Amino acid sequence: MPKDNISLIEKILYSVEKPGRYVGGEHNQILKDWNSVDVRWCLIFPDIYDIGQANLGLAMLYQILNSDKTILAERSFAPWVDMEAELRRHQIPLFSLESKKSLQEFDILGFTLPYESIYTNVLNILDLAGIPLRSVDRGQGDPLILGGGQACFNPEPMADFFDAFAIGEGEEVSLEISQAYQNWKTSGKSRSDLLLQLAQVPGVYVPSLYDVSYHPDGSIANITPKQTTIPEKITKRIVASLPPHPSKFLVPNVEIIHDRMSIEIMRGCTRGCRFCHAGMVNRPVRQRSVEEIIPAIDEALTSTGFEEVGLLSLSSSDHTQILDLTKKVQEKYHDRKLAFSLPSLRIESFSIQLMDELKELKPGGGFTLAPEAATERMRAVINKPLDDDDFYQTVTQIFENGWRSLKLYYMIGLPTETMEDVDAILQAGIKVQQIGRRLIGKSVKIHLGIASLIPKPHTPFQWLPVQRPEAIQEKLDYLKAGTRKAGIKMSYNIPDSTLLESWLSRGDRRLADVIQTAWQNGAKFDAWGERDNLQIWRNAFATNNLDPDFYSYRGRDLDEVLPWDHINIGVTKRFLKRDYEWSLAGRTREDCRNTCFACGILDAFGDQRPAETICYWGCP
Amino acid sequence: MNDTPFRVRVCYSKTGNLRFIGHLDTQRLFERALRRSTLPIRYTQGFSKHIRLNLASALPLGFVGRAEMLDFWLDEPLEIQDIRDKLQKSLPMELQILELYQVENSLPSLQGSLLSSDYIITLPEEESSQEFQVKWEQLLSQPEIPITRREKTLDYKALIFEHQLLVDPSENLRLRLRLSSKPGGNARPDDLLHLLGVDPAECVIERVGLTFSSSED
Repeated sequence: MPKDNISLIEKILYSVEKPGRYVGGEHNQILKDWNSVDVRWCLIFPDIYDIGQANLGLAMLYQILNSDKTILAERSFAPWVDMEAELRRHQIPLFSLESKKSLQEFDILGFTLPYESIYTNVLNILDLAGIPLRSVDRGQGDPLILGGGQACFNPEPMADFFDAFAIGEGEEVSLEISQAYQNWKTSGKSRSDLLLQLAQVPGVYVPSLYDVSYHPDGSIANITPKQTTIPEKITKRIVASLPPHPSKFLVPNVEIIHDRMSIEIMRGCTRGCRFCHAGMVNRPVRQRSVEEIIPAIDEALTSTGFEEVGLLSLSSSDHTQILDLTKKVQEKYHDRKLAFSLPSLRIESFSIQLMDELKELKPGGGFTLAPEAATERMRAVINKPLDDDDFYQTVTQIFENGWRSLKLYYMIGLPTETMEDVDAILQAGIKVQQIGRRLIGKSVKIHLGIASLIPKPHTPFQWLPVQRPEAIQEKLDYLKAGTRKAGIKMSYNIPDSTLLESWLSRGDRRLADVIQTAWQNGAKFDAWGERDNLQIWRNAFATNNLDPDFYSYRGRDLDEVLPWDHINIGVTKRFLKRDYEWSLAGRTREDCRNTCFACGILDAFGDQRPAETICYWGCP
Repeated sequence: MNDTPFRVRVCYSKTGNLRFIGHLDTQRLFERALRRSTLPIRYTQGFSKHIRLNLASALPLGFVGRAEMLDFWLDEPLEIQDIRDKLQKSLPMELQILELYQVENSLPSLQGSLLSSDYIITLPEEESSQEFQVKWEQLLSQPEIPITRREKTLDYKALIFEHQLLVDPSENLRLRLRLSSKPGGNARPDDLLHLLGVDPAECVIERVGLTFSSSED
């Protein structure tokens, strides 16, 4: 970018809110010489800096790519509306934080797509960068538009906008993509040749190389590769053992969400909760040992100066050395004025022991449990079994150990749910409050967090219709009235706010037109819950002659071809079907660490399994 | 822990991208840098402990700092050069330590003893020295120069301590100001620029010095 463009950027920074979002320059930022490398990446989190900068996946890719001498990786985020207006007014293309170069100048734009409500921001960013929105319209000189992240296990709604998706874990495949790009760049061949080359990289999905045909009723007939050399199914990538943890985290100069460092102690979960997307798509379970984690924390603290550490996993209690880890953390850091957080604890007395170790580090915090359902029957349906007696015993111990605030997470809109199940949530809240008042007194704080089920692809619930907002609202009203009377705090999502997610998460590639129309008519930052956007989306469906209800309220036939059937997460459709049937029969599966239920993950990845001494896998 | 804290004063510059980092963020940036530095930093006592750190004065967003000041405390005395090296190593490039020295614990706080700030404003190219001089003198000749910021009106007439136009035909016109920074009488140069019909975003505003009531210099 010419120098006067940089001074133009600086000028507009005076007139926008929180300009520190756009300037980079953080401690541990990597700014390489533009001309010293072969492949230039810009990693993009399509929401504002405040939301995206703490993303651990972004931090990992930033370090992995930049550790290669032939590659540079910079960052960019969605500009907030005030900055967007200034950029458009002065015709400044969206730029990277590090070198302030226009996105158009990079070779590869790597978008992370953690959730669906971020999709319109991708279009907005491409538009702000002056890059054609659709893969088919991009030419030789345009950057490669690459997607990855948790939402990409169903990439179809965004298929037309992306040149390629990296399915699954990015640590290794990102370097392979970079290499393929470099080979192509030096070959001087056409862009379509690049896409063919990329499709040969395991785990890379090039949507334009597949045809999708539909039945008259709108369901999918076939998803087929256009050429015989293109794989029929794309199997996600995993790393056999978790690589050394990144430590040189960027330290933001302005306040952001989750302003702390995250250390991933374990990946995947063996619990098999049937509503849980993360639990299905991130198998197998792999963990870092205490011997790796403590030095990783040390190194990261030294290089960042953060005052808070999040120990991340989908189920902390299931780390085989978790007690040892919390003890070591407590021993080592208790006089360092640091706070540690340990999310997703099981409902058992062991969790209290763990939290007690960390409590001294952060006095005054609350305790959080997620029973998800309040009757034993319903918990069997979702496969999160828990004995009522054990639950109340754990709650009792939490208060006995001095915690004064307890947050409980529940879901509504679950299959086979009746008002009895909903009422049980309220009754559980009241009983917990009574226990708390008896042990702690009036000051005890109970908080119910209510979410409604959105069936996700690749889960045993993927065939289910979403419950209609009227039904959800009725249940919420019941809970609202009851909790208000009891003096219990309750938070929830308004039913409308989850509709977009329910359309997009199980959508097919025809939704590209809907997404583009919605964006053209002003939809962006959909995750921020602007109510106006919903009408824009409904209109966009109408404009494109598609029915939103088809995607949300329709139960899928078990034999239907689903839009994501060609994306192989290792867990088989056969297993998911059986698990769905078990669900309806109220039949549970125990933690599969103990008994293998042949979900398919070992068939798909068993040959990569390292020796136990290198990396513990949760599979038996 | 040593009972007598070791008070350290830092004079530093804040330039480049870091111009766009606000006061509270700058404070947190220093806290984290101190934590990274492995220096034996002093924490405040009490239930919620935090690093004992005192920045002299908030530098408005977008201003270049050429001589910003802060104090922090250590639990024990250390070699000055050692402190300086460790702190500089953990600071971003665009925060450079200019001076670092020990000060007596008994000295009043920087914030409490700040009197005035010196600024150099580089005006846009289109501002000619003759025309600017006319509007500047016109402004100063008024009996009062009321400026309202956040519903509070101050008479800048009494807050402009010194002023000088720096004319060099080969460069943009520059205005040197010494403005009051006393509590309740903190004058901002960008507010004056607005009155003169100059967009502060078109200028480079540098704060080049701070004066304290018990200044050593």
